Amino acid sequence: MVHLSSLLLKNYHGGYVVIRLALAGHKQANRPFYRIVAAYNKRARDGKYLEQLGSYDPLPNIYNEKLVSFNFDRIKYWIGCGAHPTKPVAKLLGLAGFFPLHPMTITEAERRRAQTELIATEDVLQEGQKEAEV
Amino acid sequence: MAALGTARRLLRTCSRVKNVQRGEQRSVRCGLRTLCSGTRDHALSDNTRPQFTDPAVQDLLTRMTGLDLQKVFRPIKEELKPPTYKLMTDQQLEEAVELATQQAEKLLQMPPLLSERKPISDVLSVDKILDGMDTAKYVFTDITYNILHRERFIVVREPDGTLRKASWEERDRLVQVYFPKEGRKLTAPLIFKEGNLKMVFSQDRHEDVLDLCLVQFEPDSSDYIRVHAATYEDLDKHGKYELLRSTRHFGGMTWYLLGARRADGLIVDMLKRDLLQDAVSLVSLFHMVHPHSESAQEAASQQAAGADLLKIYADKESQKSGYIELALQAYEQLTTKKSSAE
Repeated sequence: MVHLSSLLLKNYHGGYVVIRLALAGHKQANRPFYRIVAAYNKRARDGKYLEQLGSYDPLPNIYNEKLVSFNFDRIKYWIGCGAHPTKPVAKLLGLAGFFPLHPMTITEAERRRAQTELIATEDVLQEGQKEAEV
Repeated sequence: MAALGTARRLLRTCSRVKNVQRGEQRSVRCGLRTLCSGTRDHALSDNTRPQFTDPAVQDLLTRMTGLDLQKVFRPIKEELKPPTYKLMTDQQLEEAVELATQQAEKLLQMPPLLSERKPISDVLSVDKILDGMDTAKYVFTDITYNILHRERFIVVREPDGTLRKASWEERDRLVQVYFPKEGRKLTAPLIFKEGNLKMVFSQDRHEDVLDLCLVQFEPDSSDYIRVHAATYEDLDKHGKYELLRSTRHFGGMTWYLLGARRADGLIVDMLKRDLLQDAVSLVSLFHMVHPHSESAQEAASQQAAGADLLKIYADKESQKSGYIELALQAYEQLTTKKSSAE
């Protein structure tokens, strides 16, 4: 592991840099907005970070889009310095095409499809029962 | 042992300071939009056809635009300040007027004229395994500071798993979200709808519409071209060329009318205002743009110049030849009167 320490930042023994989502705008309830951030592992989730590398808005806008931004140049730098991306960041990067697809994304998609099929078959069964009663 | 630790930490700080310095030396992207070179036309037109950005064409267009200082620097709506008065000698006044002309020339720089952009329809990958992963699209933008907005990577992951490049409208919107430009809105103002445009034209505010359009849209977007075409058509229909005379949009209007071969109204208007030089330069520009037309070949064979050019154009090309000949006669009468009076 590469240790990046300076006199300005706290020296973490055995700490490493992660690229993770930090919650921003905590003054508004029920409106999450994440910053994609390079920070030390031991720091608080919303605490002091090394650099902001992007943003993620989990609520879709009027065009039904979830806006995600990445500063790919700096992400490459931090990964080159030995930063580890967390699972949600790895999933987003996989969806963007920067990383290969995360296996959990595929698993979640399959689970969702199974769920929708289950609901659809239940509806069909219910309709069939209603017709039979009538 | 402790000494080793401190030595290691010192080395690390040195390297970090070096990294910071290198980071700060990254070049800052210039935000000025300069005249971009004209794009290649369709394969059908010849390569010898003069482009909007040719120096000869630009020279003629700037001469026709004119430089009315009173109009260029007319008071715009700003915050209220008490006026400042300066006491100057004649020489200082001349210098101030020269400075003003230079600034006016910069303000009158013509906006770029590009052909309409082709829609992007690039699919980067089709992943059927991701079908139904979410109900919303994911739009990924690259916010690296050092790249041009045209070359930025903006991709969309659809709910059915396809990863495609974003369309031009999406690109414009997202670039405005992450790199906001002053005066530009995320959704186009309602003034650019057809009915609203007509109302604004009836109020003679073509120039404001064109300024807004310049700020809001990219020069090669379909909206920009549509609004500009509508404005120029309306001006041509009502003959209100004077509205744009000393502004930066005059060149664009002239180029559009020449392309559509409907410059007659403009020539008549120029002759009415005794601007013979402008009319002559307009006709020579027409011959440059359409070198295979009858009047162009006639003029080339006769090596005509000045009022003769106008006569040839009036004979061969224009639909309002009567008007042009009348106006020419009136102008000649005026000049003879003036010379006889002197």
